[in-house]
Amino acid sequence: MKYSAFSLLQNGFDRDSRWPSILPCVTPKDRYDIIIVGGGAHGLACAHYLAKNHGITDVLVLDSAWIGGGNTGRNTAIVRSDYLLEASFKLKNFSLELWKSLSQELNYNVMYSPRGYIDLAHSDGELEHFISRANAMRLSGARAEILSPQQIESLEPSINLHTKSRFPVSGGLFQPDGGLVRHDAVAWGFARSAGRAGIDIVQNCGVSGFGVRNSRINWVQTVQGKIHCAKVLITAAGASSELARLAGFELPVEMINVQAFVSEPVKPVLDKVINYNAGLAYISQTGKGELVMGGATDGYPSFARRGSFARIEDTLVRALQIFPFLSNLRLMRHWSGTADIPMDGNAIVGISPLENMYLNCGWGYAGFKATPAVGWTMAELLATDQTPDLLAPFALDRFKSGALIDDAGIGPYPWLH
Amino acid sequence: MQASRLESGGYIDRNSSIEFFFDGRSLTGYRGDTLASALLANNVSMVARSIKYHRPRGILSAGLEEPNALVACVDEAGNLIPNLKATEVWLQPGLKAHSQNNWPCLKIDVGALLQLFSRFLSAGFYYKTFMWPPSGWPRVYEKLIRQVAGQGRVTLGADQKYYDRRQTRCDTLVIGAGSQGIVEALAASGRNESVLLVDQDSRVGGSSQWDLQPGDAGNQQQWLKQKLIQLEQASNIRCMANTLAFGQYDHGLVLAVEQHTSGVHSIYWRIRAKRIVLATGSIEQPLIFPGNDRPGIMLAAATRQYIYRYAVKPGRRAFLAIIDPADRAATATALVHAGVEIVGELGEGEVISATKGRYRLKMVCVFSRHGQQKIYQCDLLCVSAGWSRNSDLSAQIGKDRFEVAGNSQNQAHGGGAWSFVDYQNDVQCSDIESAVHEGFSHVEHTKRYTTVGMGTDQGKTSWYGTTQALADLTGRQFGSISRTTMRPPYSPVSFGALAGANTDQHMVPVRRSPFHSVLEKYRCVFQTSGEWLYSRYFPVADESMIDAVCREVFAVRNAVGCVDMSTLGKVDVKGADAIRFLSRVYCNDIENIQAGRLRYAVMLREDGMVFDDGTVSCLAENHFLITMTTANSAAVWRWLNRLLQVHWPELDVQLTLVTDHYASLAIAGPNARSLLADMSPEFGCNRDDFPFASVRTGWLDEKVSCRVFSLSYSGELSFEINVPARHAHWLYQRVIELGADHGVTPYGLEALDVLRIEKGHLAVGTEIDGRTTAQDLGLGNMVATHKDYIGASLLQRPVLKDTNRLQLVGLVPVDDTRDIPTGAQLVDRKWCAGDVMNSIGRMTAVINSPTLGCSIGLALLKHGHHRFQDTLWAASPIENRSTEVRVVDRCFYDPGGSRLRD
Amino acid sequence: MLLIPCPNCGERDEGEFNYGGRARVFPPIEKTASVEDWHRSIHFASHEQGQVHEYWYHHGGCECWIEVKRNLHNHEIAAVNATRSDTDRSGT
Repeated sequence: MKYSAFSLLQNGFDRDSRWPSILPCVTPKDRYDIIIVGGGAHGLACAHYLAKNHGITDVLVLDSAWIGGGNTGRNTAIVRSDYLLEASFKLKNFSLELWKSLSQELNYNVMYSPRGYIDLAHSDGELEHFISRANAMRLSGARAEILSPQQIESLEPSINLHTKSRFPVSGGLFQPDGGLVRHDAVAWGFARSAGRAGIDIVQNCGVSGFGVRNSRINWVQTVQGKIHCAKVLITAAGASSELARLAGFELPVEMINVQAFVSEPVKPVLDKVINYNAGLAYISQTGKGELVMGGATDGYPSFARRGSFARIEDTLVRALQIFPFLSNLRLMRHWSGTADIPMDGNAIVGISPLENMYLNCGWGYAGFKATPAVGWTMAELLATDQTPDLLAPFALDRFKSGALIDDAGIGPYPWLH
Repeated sequence: MQASRLESGGYIDRNSSIEFFFDGRSLTGYRGDTLASALLANNVSMVARSIKYHRPRGILSAGLEEPNALVACVDEAGNLIPNLKATEVWLQPGLKAHSQNNWPCLKIDVGALLQLFSRFLSAGFYYKTFMWPPSGWPRVYEKLIRQVAGQGRVTLGADQKYYDRRQTRCDTLVIGAGSQGIVEALAASGRNESVLLVDQDSRVGGSSQWDLQPGDAGNQQQWLKQKLIQLEQASNIRCMANTLAFGQYDHGLVLAVEQHTSGVHSIYWRIRAKRIVLATGSIEQPLIFPGNDRPGIMLAAATRQYIYRYAVKPGRRAFLAIIDPADRAATATALVHAGVEIVGELGEGEVISATKGRYRLKMVCVFSRHGQQKIYQCDLLCVSAGWSRNSDLSAQIGKDRFEVAGNSQNQAHGGGAWSFVDYQNDVQCSDIESAVHEGFSHVEHTKRYTTVGMGTDQGKTSWYGTTQALADLTGRQFGSISRTTMRPPYSPVSFGALAGANTDQHMVPVRRSPFHSVLEKYRCVFQTSGEWLYSRYFPVADESMIDAVCREVFAVRNAVGCVDMSTLGKVDVKGADAIRFLSRVYCNDIENIQAGRLRYAVMLREDGMVFDDGTVSCLAENHFLITMTTANSAAVWRWLNRLLQVHWPELDVQLTLVTDHYASLAIAGPNARSLLADMSPEFGCNRDDFPFASVRTGWLDEKVSCRVFSLSYSGELSFEINVPARHAHWLYQRVIELGADHGVTPYGLEALDVLRIEKGHLAVGTEIDGRTTAQDLGLGNMVATHKDYIGASLLQRPVLKDTNRLQLVGLVPVDDTRDIPTGAQLVDRKWCAGDVMNSIGRMTAVINSPTLGCSIGLALLKHGHHRFQDTLWAASPIENRSTEVRVVDRCFYDPGGSRLRD
Repeated sequence: MLLIPCPNCGERDEGEFNYGGRARVFPPIEKTASVEDWHRSIHFASHEQGQVHEYWYHHGGCECWIEVKRNLHNHEIAAVNATRSDTDRSGT
């Protein structure tokens, strides 16, 4: 049943009518062409594009718990593409193009809100870096501007850049197409679309092993039995290392805890998405009115999905530097997620050491914005066995060859990225 | 005047009458009242409008679980503090409170019209529409929804309240000072443990102070009185009321906020306890039935609390819908005590089918077992579905699941309109039903889809009902449905309190060089860079920065300048294996360095990328001083310690971090040697005695010990004078004094940057950006081939040797009257507005060189080292222009280095 | 926040420490190690699951690198050892 204002009215008038389920209860078959392990936004997006772009529907998406329950449901929902290195920028910018029409494509309102993203610089040197980045973006056809503190204040009236602060702001990089998307809706929208195309999505179905022979995966062992397949995609963020281990290889990735928090919901006060660079704090306001903030990772590994409150404090005091009014608001909730961060801080996407197993992992805390592009390109790779240009730089073997994509220039220390 | 205040009783101070305001109306209460109890005492029952449907709401509870009575209060600075629960605000003289989320006023709220469209506005409706036209969402629909969403309003004024932060430890922390908590605290005290007993309420003692069980009231009070005396007398128990323990973290850490009423607004506590006991009691749950949200519907225990603790008469005629017989009896007793008429009770098999009353409950309709309908005229409906154990704090660290104390069944849910499961987010039973039908039956999905439990009350009064509804709808067992992950804080905590004094300039400590105050005297303009305050430039009269920098650069190139270099990291290295250690750490050849000489050295990361650059000075046999860049100082110190302690413990090397021990002032320029000689004859007499790239130790003025390094970042003859930090001022004044004859000019980092760019020297953050190898930076010749060192192996990876990499070059404009745009990207052909092109590199540093009289820059260019004399374009779409440039050697000034060597 | 029992300083708050990666051995600096040796040492963590050995650096205290055995699922610290065993760490 198509979603629209009209069908909403229809359904409202008819007391007995019910919307069909977007997640029908399915028992997995014995065999599929493609098994996608990980029912987060990336895995579901891949399923959707397999059906839509390639007509491939003999696909099973598995999740060990509820779809979108991993990093998809935990991130701060920011989308942007102002990354330094070409490989990072291109994939995320393609993603931004897809975000623009995703609601219409999925017939599900994912609430893409291009309110604008402002990255704040704290010195002339930093601003010069931003100018460099903005120029790179503009050369590629993306929109970007450099703003002075006064311009930032007029674009975002609630920000205070003129009162003396510890790390004064010297200007910022503005990406008008950046903004917010409703993260849960993305998982649900892709799931619904894939489901309608005939793809099976099974929740509460963890993977406990793989049948490997001659460097090929023959079957996947799940809690609902053994399922055979021609290809497998691992796209399970924090569970990637474990899944790789079950398949017999290692990933150069560490699992680092990352946190975010929200204030109580208030009437609209913050229009843009703002990033404060000195020590890191990013802040935006959700559609429900909560001010959501995040910052640097906890700096050490964890699977516990809870972190150090000191990190919340660090993020908060930075947000307070530019939004002093936050002091009168209250912390409503803080939460954690497991960011899988590789040795150069950038994702690992492409073929694995096994012939028919594909990887999509290492997105750390920067994966959500790349969702549609990852889905699109991974579907292409799975369908055609040709690595799309956009994905080629993210290959696993880049650590051996030296072709690293280190946006921050930090080196092989995931906990510092 | 307080129409619903009982004549006697209550834990309120009737001698302290307090005037307060609600929505502009002046009312009175007493000290000891919450805003909620004071409003009830004044017969104010409607205090809010619900978030989505703008339904009139009253006061449901007497505690932090309150979902409805959200108000905004005005603080002393005139700022609005939104979303406070009326049940958590203690009455203060002059308190000004306002209702939220209504327009034009609470009683006549336009938003209430939304109730007419409720059937179209069920949970998740916004995912199904607002998609056409594509620009409709950001331009129109979203703006509308945002205006309607959100509870309270924010004012943008700065917070002027004081907050404090403290830490404490104890053997046993007991959270909750009700009767159970008190018993636990006394027991722990008896075992000679140090005990901290905290409670978020204003009094210690819990609900048994006023929740009198019929027939036992006397004993209960007596028992409690005794225990409170024991608490007082125990020297190892600290009691803290008004203290909300909001989160439990690793290794016995509990965070709490203590509210004060004067002076310090609140104190943020970090408590480390060996043992934590939760005595947080239980939370009463409301019943679910059509119209269960009207003002006048109140939890049974809250009713009793308002009567006994606050001496308030919550209504005139009451109906009881209380499952547990003991609770029912206790409530009835309390109501009688307060003179409230009891018009009826919900009996076995009966359900409430509807309630009526616009701004306050007027009647309750009950269906009996036999289908008979009875109507009760009442203005107070006391509800209770039972109690759920308050285990949020333990659930936060993954222990404990959802527990229900007592045998409770939430009767009569579902079906009718306005059967609320979550009051604060206006989630009805029908929403839960829709969610399940649409596939969102996993409790986390239900929560996110319907927003149940996502309000500021974190679902304290909604999870039980939700779980019940899910169990019924999906045929699962109640106990099998897990609760969503409990996240701190238990109840919202002020950001201001959490930040404490770490605001404004105090967010992160400021680090100053030992010269700081003397530089201030010379009118230095400082710049924040990382944790440091750097000297940026020294304006004379009212010259601009550009003019000051030009003047400073000119002075260095033609006379002598002095600059503070104290922020560079410095490590003293000693030991029999010192040279062996340093040789492993740096990629260039330093093994044959002689005493008294120094060398520029480059350190790589394990993966072959350039990590840091600096100098290695040999002070004596087995004694070295190495320097690091300011930015990487801490990281390098950490790294060196790691190598020695973890990986090469067999090496005999001792390191001492001496960055702060020495004040370091560089004097640079053609007159530098003469200035140095004036300062101390033993230095600088001639270049043979003190050649470039060497170090000498001696005395200045025969009293201040010093070490002088002959090295240069600026490209001029230069000496870095190190003295013990306490002599910084003396050194500076001396240099200025003696330098007057030599034309000494103080200069800062801005000028230093210009000088180093003219020389093609590297800086961290621009050229050394963590992605470049020594070869990329043109230092390939320095990299040793005969030895092994950190990074040597991985440097051999094929992509790192590819000549098509970004390589450091110099660029000059083809037409030297044009300038290279800052931050330009490099392209192979002329860029015009709107062109989309591939970048082949980027500028790392651009200046208008005062020395050369034209614009110059350093850049990372693909295949750069093989493109000398090629022309390309430096494009800046941001400035809407591009400049044609030529690739040259990165050293623009004195490439032979003759000025360094006199 | 974690409470880390430093062998020199006792139990101290996590804020005094820097995490330094999983415990690992560097190949010897003698021109015998290959690209593969260093690639494996730097880019891959040990095979440990759940309970792992890690390096932490006590920057806010004794400035010693310590080896901590910690459970990544519940943050329980099972053991802590100093890395360098001799007592003279402070230099002259």
